[in-house]
Amino acid sequence: MTAFNANRRRFLVGAGAVGAGALLSSCVTQSPSASGGKSGGPVTLQSNLSSPQAKTAMQAVVAAFDKRGGAGAQLNTVASETFRTQLPTYLTSVNPPDAYTWYPGSVAESYAKKDLLLGLDDVWEKPELAGYSDALKKLCTSASSGKKVFVPTSYYWWGVFYRKSNFAKWGVKEPKTWDEFLGLCDKLKSKGVAPIGLGAGGDTPWVASTWFDYLDIRVNGAAYHRELLAGKHRFDDPEVRKVFDKWDEARPFFDPNGTAIPFQDATTALLQGRTGMMLIGTFFADAAPKDALDDLDFFQFPIIDPKVPVAEEAPTDGYFASARTKRADGVKELLRYLASAEAQELYLKNSSGTALPTHPDAKDAGTPLVLKGRKLIESATDVTQFFNRDSSDALQPTADTALVHYLAKPKEIGSILTTWQRSAQKIWSQ
Amino acid sequence: MPPVVLAFVLVPLLVEAFWVFWPALQGFYLSLTSWDGLSAPKFVGLGNFSEMVHDEVFRTAAINTVLWLLLFGGLSAALGLGAALLLQQDRRGIGFYRAALFLPVVFSLVATALVWQAMYQPDGLINNVLGAIGLGGWKHAWLADQDTAFYAVIVPALWRQVGYVMVLYLAGLKGIDPVLYEAAKVDGATRLQQFRHITLPQLRSVNAVVLSVIVIDSLRSFDVVWALTRGGPYHSSELLSTYMYSTAFQSLRLGYGSALAVVIFVLAFGVIASYLVRAFREADS
Repeated sequence: MTAFNANRRRFLVGAGAVGAGALLSSCVTQSPSASGGKSGGPVTLQSNLSSPQAKTAMQAVVAAFDKRGGAGAQLNTVASETFRTQLPTYLTSVNPPDAYTWYPGSVAESYAKKDLLLGLDDVWEKPELAGYSDALKKLCTSASSGKKVFVPTSYYWWGVFYRKSNFAKWGVKEPKTWDEFLGLCDKLKSKGVAPIGLGAGGDTPWVASTWFDYLDIRVNGAAYHRELLAGKHRFDDPEVRKVFDKWDEARPFFDPNGTAIPFQDATTALLQGRTGMMLIGTFFADAAPKDALDDLDFFQFPIIDPKVPVAEEAPTDGYFASARTKRADGVKELLRYLASAEAQELYLKNSSGTALPTHPDAKDAGTPLVLKGRKLIESATDVTQFFNRDSSDALQPTADTALVHYLAKPKEIGSILTTWQRSAQKIWSQ
Repeated sequence: MPPVVLAFVLVPLLVEAFWVFWPALQGFYLSLTSWDGLSAPKFVGLGNFSEMVHDEVFRTAAINTVLWLLLFGGLSAALGLGAALLLQQDRRGIGFYRAALFLPVVFSLVATALVWQAMYQPDGLINNVLGAIGLGGWKHAWLADQDTAFYAVIVPALWRQVGYVMVLYLAGLKGIDPVLYEAAKVDGATRLQQFRHITLPQLRSVNAVVLSVIVIDSLRSFDVVWALTRGGPYHSSELLSTYMYSTAFQSLRLGYGSALAVVIFVLAFGVIASYLVRAFREADS
């Protein structure tokens, strides 16, 4: 009995001590001055590239960086959706991961404005990034501070992808104009194929935004599109309504499962010939079997109004770093390496190889598909990023809700746009 | 009072205060601000709450939460009791059925949701079975249709909860003195009368446990909805908890998200407190 009591008392005292200890240590971690953190050790690189091929490629790049000696890096791969929601928490925490995969432009700017991103001007001065295009330089410069905050490493294009063998089997050809496109859809439907796959179900509702993006840049032009996403126009304006009038013409040809399955499943449907084509970025190939890659082809999103200058969506990917990193030198060393032709080629070789490197000397995969993609972007008069990258991560959910709603209840478009404007207003006014 | 006793009270209180009360108070404070998680919070008074009054999504989420409480709560209690009554007799192989019903309880709800997601897919098990038995017309994109998403999400939650409630009731049924049933049989009571006048009153204490478990579980339901539909399509399966999460961490409106959290807290506290008050009053009388 006494032994039991003593044990219990010791346990409780211990528990109390643990509690008090936790109290003390939490006080310590809360004060920024006391958090020394380690300035040595490898640079932590937080990555959202979690699809198998992209992840392998990242591991290869990091391994090569480690082999050179020097700073060394540790790769943390986080599921994409988790990464996106956690990013503000990462960046504002006292001891944040050092470097991050992410996007330049307005998405990076929202963090740069709050002084959360490491200034990278000296990285851009070194020879690795000397030959980068002026457009990229502008894209990676913070508008508020004038400092470079981003290192771009690759970009990719969006297009209407299809299987060459299937198009041959169905006896159809790539369309150029909107009317040819609708004709093609009609023909595919008559053959019992769902003409347009989507993949805006599950946790990838954002895929639907690219239809909105493309219709808007084809109908109203890229300049209007950017202003709209920056809050300078309203979503219930007649211009936006025109976008949905065009969409209405194509909507009957969408796969009825379009909003029920994520884009990975929609990719499978496309490869198996259950859907005819799909407007998607080349990243979808990271989830496709390698042997199907040679059979893939794409065409440019059809021209709707020849008077509108042709713009294409070509989102740029790359890295930024936390302003609170304690290993600024190591981070810059890593970013310089990632910007080099060698690292970019290594990445492309280990992934599906459908992206384009940003380094002018880096060789792309060289396949006919990639050459065609490069030509598409280089001949465009203007280049947009993607809905969230031209607006903000916070605005993306408003688009997801509105567009998925539209696809299910197209007749309610009037009230959908009013609601969209109202929820966007809340984000902009913040 | 001896200092040891005092310490026994004070130390846990301090720990509790720091880890529970302080963050809760901070949440209350944040609900009075507009905050994007990056810059400093801006004080807006009751602005968030007055916004809620005109927020249609909030209204949908609140109605869905009440509906969830009634449907999920009511059905899991009824089905759990039914299963317990069926499986209380000691027969050969009864253990297998009990285990089978209890099995879903041991899976995490997120894993459960993933399994059900595969079944609900347009070309998943459910639609295939419907097609095979000639009900092809019933095929449906269950999770992507605003008319079915909410109910499709309740099913996995129920599937899991029924086993849990069954076990609670099984324990309660085991505690009933068999003499009562024998006496009732001697008096010529039917099965229904036995159930009505012996089983139900004897289960009163278990009912109290089941009710509080169900209320708490349904108000904190989040994982299964989030994993399956994220409150969509266009908010049709939105609960207060999912709406709170998406406004706070996806749209980064942490002030408004905190205000929603306060509403959930008040609701949970209100339901449970009023229930406890009643339960104590009954116990006293």
